[in-house]
Amino acid sequence: MSDSVVLHKDHFLPLLRRLGKRYRLVGPTRNELGDVLYTEIDDLDHARIDLTQQPQNSLKSFFFPQTEPLASYIVDRGANGSRRSLSFYPLLPEKRPTLYFGVRSCDLFAVLYMDMIFLGGKYRDPYYEQRRRDALFLTLGCNKPFGNCFCNATKSGPFLDFGFDLQLTDLGDGENAYYVEIGKAGGRKITSELACFFTDATKEHARLQFQAVLEARGLFQQLVHVDLACARLKKGPEPEKIIADLSRRCQDCGGCAYICPTCTCFTITDQAGDRDTGERIRTWDACTFAGFTKMAGDHNPVDMRRQRIRRRFYHKLQSDVEKHGRTSCVGCGRCVGICFGGVDIITFIHKVIDL
Amino acid sequence: MAGLATTFGSGAMTNTINELDQSQVILVAGSNTTRTHPQVARRIYNAVDRGAKLIVIDPRKTKIARHAHIHLQINPGTDIALLNGMMRCILDENLIDDLFIEMRTENYLALRDMLLAVDLDKIEKITGVSRSTIARAARTYAHARRAAICYCLGVTQHICGTANVESYANLAMLTGHVEQEFTGVDPLRGQYNVQGACDMGALPAVLPGYQSVFDPDIRKKFARAWGCQLPENQGRTLLDMTHGARNAGLADERPDPLKVMYIMGENPMLSDPTLGRVKATLEGLDFLVVSDIFLSETAELADVVLPAACFAEKTGTVTNSERRVQYSKKAVNPPGEARPDRLIIQELATLMGYPMAYGSAAEIMEEICLLTPVYGGIYHDRLQRSWGLQWPCPDREHPGTPFLHKYSFTRGKGHFTPQHHVDVAEPVTDDYPLALITGRSYHHYHTGTMSRKSALLNREHPRPRVNMNPQDAEKLGLAEGMRVRVSSRRGSVPYILHLTDEVPPGELSSDFHFREAPTNMLTIGASDPIAHCPEYKCCAVKVEVDHV
Repeated sequence: MSDSVVLHKDHFLPLLRRLGKRYRLVGPTRNELGDVLYTEIDDLDHARIDLTQQPQNSLKSFFFPQTEPLASYIVDRGANGSRRSLSFYPLLPEKRPTLYFGVRSCDLFAVLYMDMIFLGGKYRDPYYEQRRRDALFLTLGCNKPFGNCFCNATKSGPFLDFGFDLQLTDLGDGENAYYVEIGKAGGRKITSELACFFTDATKEHARLQFQAVLEARGLFQQLVHVDLACARLKKGPEPEKIIADLSRRCQDCGGCAYICPTCTCFTITDQAGDRDTGERIRTWDACTFAGFTKMAGDHNPVDMRRQRIRRRFYHKLQSDVEKHGRTSCVGCGRCVGICFGGVDIITFIHKVIDL
Repeated sequence: MAGLATTFGSGAMTNTINELDQSQVILVAGSNTTRTHPQVARRIYNAVDRGAKLIVIDPRKTKIARHAHIHLQINPGTDIALLNGMMRCILDENLIDDLFIEMRTENYLALRDMLLAVDLDKIEKITGVSRSTIARAARTYAHARRAAICYCLGVTQHICGTANVESYANLAMLTGHVEQEFTGVDPLRGQYNVQGACDMGALPAVLPGYQSVFDPDIRKKFARAWGCQLPENQGRTLLDMTHGARNAGLADERPDPLKVMYIMGENPMLSDPTLGRVKATLEGLDFLVVSDIFLSETAELADVVLPAACFAEKTGTVTNSERRVQYSKKAVNPPGEARPDRLIIQELATLMGYPMAYGSAAEIMEEICLLTPVYGGIYHDRLQRSWGLQWPCPDREHPGTPFLHKYSFTRGKGHFTPQHHVDVAEPVTDDYPLALITGRSYHHYHTGTMSRKSALLNREHPRPRVNMNPQDAEKLGLAEGMRVRVSSRRGSVPYILHLTDEVPPGELSSDFHFREAPTNMLTIGASDPIAHCPEYKCCAVKVEVDHV
């Protein structure tokens, strides 16, 4: 079989149903308030799958939950009740092979970035690994980018060249079908084992797909010069005034870091259950919080009033470029919609370019 | 609340929060908006980005004040003097809206006569703001076609809180800045759903929907629905209840103190002024019941504690500052024996011989619609399909009301209420040379019952702080991070000292979230004669190094 096939839209749901017998399904659904979110789907018949909107969340929390218990502990006491030692019992998440479908290019790209953070170094994060292993991605290219999207500028969309198991492209109303590119082995397995759902792609299909990709590139509403901004920041000097002005408007809510698909900072705390037991918890953290770098005696190496946002933007556009050769901003535009004060990455980049 | 009710006839935001985006001038008074109402601050930023002018009235140089085009850094408790000064300037420069005053208001001559007697030099002295700055602010506000006033507890938590609010309303009416979109007087409510609680009659003299308890027809309507007789007199105000200690040997003992109290989701043992007195009162009760989601300082004094469900564990509605009733759906089950408040009340009532058998929150809402005209069309099923409805919404077909007082004030004509400066209840003296202002910090909410349970919020703000101007610190020989003890005539509380130019010399500010530093040990019980809101925003204190 070739590297691309075609799936008629009528067969999409039946395909998911078959896959749902083997995998947990996660995809974009619309809830009763009209919000589209990536959600775990238990009941395909009642889930309102919506592939027309950008999900408000990313896939981050499926691999790296907002709060997650790492271990439980028990205090071992001596005969006189004094504390002798602590015993820790790791709480690893259960293994659940999961098929993520309807995933947008930027969101899969973000997962690949998280792989570098949690699995790339000498120590692999077992919690992340447990969730990441046996995950399949059935992505959906964006024929029509959304209002705040700029993944073309971060080179993480609107269509991907790698990373997916299967990448779907909507071939438009005339065809009522998806062009399916086969990426990794997981995708090959699906198309061969469930071959009855797919037909071979013709040259005409390939042409239509190519056309869709070309058109999508022309439909971005945001023009964001990410490369230029990275170069400016690298060359220096630091745009101190821009940072100070934006920091003044930052309201310290952490929303940008929480919504960001590639912000992976966390903190670890112990939560006591009772006198002798408790749990060690990992929660999302944000570098825009003063407490992130605060040391004993309230000393803080970062002047939070002026530099609250410097660390975040420099990390995305500078440190990661040096370290990994590309920005860790995937251009999803979510932080633009969530910020209370207009302190988003697009504004920052525009201001840096305007210098 | 009471202030806007007397002038306009309705005590709530006259606009929608989104309208602020389009205002030309926004006057923010006594509100640390970026900390307490970030979503409102966001609209103010947007408006300023579009070219709006921002005027901030606050003794402190808050974050929003740093964004202001004009910051009127008044002495605490001098709003009325400042506003009288501004209105005098508006009058002198003939920037008043004659037509609006003529058609839509009453009692203007009384205000004009009072303003003509205002001495601007005296105003400058009382407020600490220069005449020229006052005039500039007055001109900026009066010239705009669309100008909104946002005020918060810095205006209301004074012994002249009601008069303060009436003065802001005077200013708005004098310039015709009410009754339109993007233009009005907007009280930002202090707490989650406090608007809803007021709407539902959690006030001494009104039944749900601000229907007067003194009106026999209204009482009859409720009596028919509830099958019981309603009291003809108003209830007690908060301080009447929590400061009513029996036999505590207090000089101004209140008559007829309570014997039993049932406190729901409130923590007066940290939030009410003069905590010593609150404690004496609660300990003197025959019986105290507290229902809350955690064992609060107040619950520790209770005979019975009823565990309640939190907001995410029950279905109901929340009403925000802009009068928007929003549906809030249960997300998780309550832990252990905790139950939603409505079930606790239903079962208590049933045990007391008045069976209540509401099957759901939606059924209760139907009764609210039946009995409360402003909520007449706000049914759960409508809310589930929308982002909420803004009252007044009298029937099922009504789309809700984004801004109030269009064509006519709720009370008919807007009433000018001239006001004069009132000195703060406790001016600073040589013994107590600093004025303490209380307020909220960003990372904690109220008495910390909830926010102090969060590890991340506690990391951001782990210890009780008192803010002082560096000049004062230098005079007193104090330094950043020192342990200090702040004392008033009523008590003494330990803090960590934080030096900042946010507070001007001669003033201190602190929050009240920490049980280990109960700021309300220091505050005074003196309160507004009408709303009975205590003067949290100013009391005289001194600071010493704490040698522990």
